[in-house]
Amino acid sequence: MTPVSTAESRRPAGKDYGYCNARVRGMKSRLFDAAYLERLMGAADLSGVIHELVQTEYNPDLEQTLIHGRTAAQVDEALKLNLVRTYRKVLRLLNEDAFFLVTTLLGRWDLFNLKSIVRGKHVHLTVGEIHDGLLPVGALNAVELDALAAVEDIRAVADTAATWGLEYAPALRAGYIAFARSGDLPELELELDGHYARWASERLRKRGENAALARRILGMQVDTVNLITVLRLVKADLEGVDPMTFFLEGGWSIHRDLFEQLAKTSDVDELLDRVKGTPYGKTLEDSAIAYLEENSLAVFERSLETLLTRRAVASGIGDPLGVGVVVSYLWAKLNEVTNLRIVVKGKAIGMPESRMRKELILV
Amino acid sequence: MAIAEEAAAEGAAAGGDVAWQATVGKALAAGLAMGLSAIGAGYAQAKIGSAGAGTLAERPEVSIWIITLQALPEVIVLLGFVSAIMISG
Repeated sequence: MTPVSTAESRRPAGKDYGYCNARVRGMKSRLFDAAYLERLMGAADLSGVIHELVQTEYNPDLEQTLIHGRTAAQVDEALKLNLVRTYRKVLRLLNEDAFFLVTTLLGRWDLFNLKSIVRGKHVHLTVGEIHDGLLPVGALNAVELDALAAVEDIRAVADTAATWGLEYAPALRAGYIAFARSGDLPELELELDGHYARWASERLRKRGENAALARRILGMQVDTVNLITVLRLVKADLEGVDPMTFFLEGGWSIHRDLFEQLAKTSDVDELLDRVKGTPYGKTLEDSAIAYLEENSLAVFERSLETLLTRRAVASGIGDPLGVGVVVSYLWAKLNEVTNLRIVVKGKAIGMPESRMRKELILV
Repeated sequence: MAIAEEAAAEGAAAGGDVAWQATVGKALAAGLAMGLSAIGAGYAQAKIGSAGAGTLAERPEVSIWIITLQALPEVIVLLGFVSAIMISG
């Protein structure tokens, strides 16, 4: 039913990482370096950026979308197509062991897409608008996601997922019941988040270095969600809410006790003080000034995501015949596409180069 | 006199046994040297071949390097062959 199952039937057997890692390293060698991004930012306008990009491996995707107009939206769509195509290609190359670990980590994109659809349905967006926000690189492909986005309402999304026998169907159903009772969409999203964290943790309970690496990446993802949640709770200073209902199991260093302690802090400053001993302490501390300037938790969210990307990309440095090479490439590719989207949008609205440089994630 | 002749005959028989055992031992050792080095080279070439095929699929411009790397384990077989010659010679 899904492209993942198609890929599963073609992928190389066993634990031989030689072939897939060599291919992935070859693909990684074609990622853009900082100098190339500088050149793109130095282009006179959007046409200049397009002119540069058509000479790269983004060409087939640009040709496909630019026939509808040479706009930033079409370039954005091409970048998205390229990312999806690249992820699918990598999944086809992987051996059984790597495929199992990587698809578990990529489950975060199914979660992201389902949440986008549910949010879109909640605020009555059109199918096209919901489609623009999706990134079909998980187990659910574009056709399936579009079909889910086209149903009438959130209840129909849950029903369709149950009919298809999707992994997230029970969580969607339970979340929908909670949402229907309270009218709060975050309750549904929390159910989905919790389901993914439990499902992925269970799958990664394997022995070996590769599973340990995947567990670490998943743990950091869960920690990021928990930290953002607790920052929001502390900032909102809600009365009569049990913070532990928002806690996700399966984190790497933000465990239940620490989460409870953090939730009891009086303000963001005190919370930052408490997390100093964790791997996230320095990152959050470095973002504190930007937070004071902008008074937005998005600053912390972004810095934590950057830290996750940095760690995931660095995971390729270790074992050359391990899953780290693949994980590293997938995150690096996502980072490249995100940076290109920033440059394209920046050029389209006439953003100064210095501002664009500041907005880039990891160069 | 008869006792001395008997002892000499026994010695000659024992010497023949030793020579036969040495020949078989040498042949076995030479075979092992050649065979194990060939198996080692084959294993190395299989690994290099699979990674090389992956590299060539993405970066055909490095084909010379891949062919060179693919040929390197042949040295192991050559060393095994030379060892085998020296043992049996």
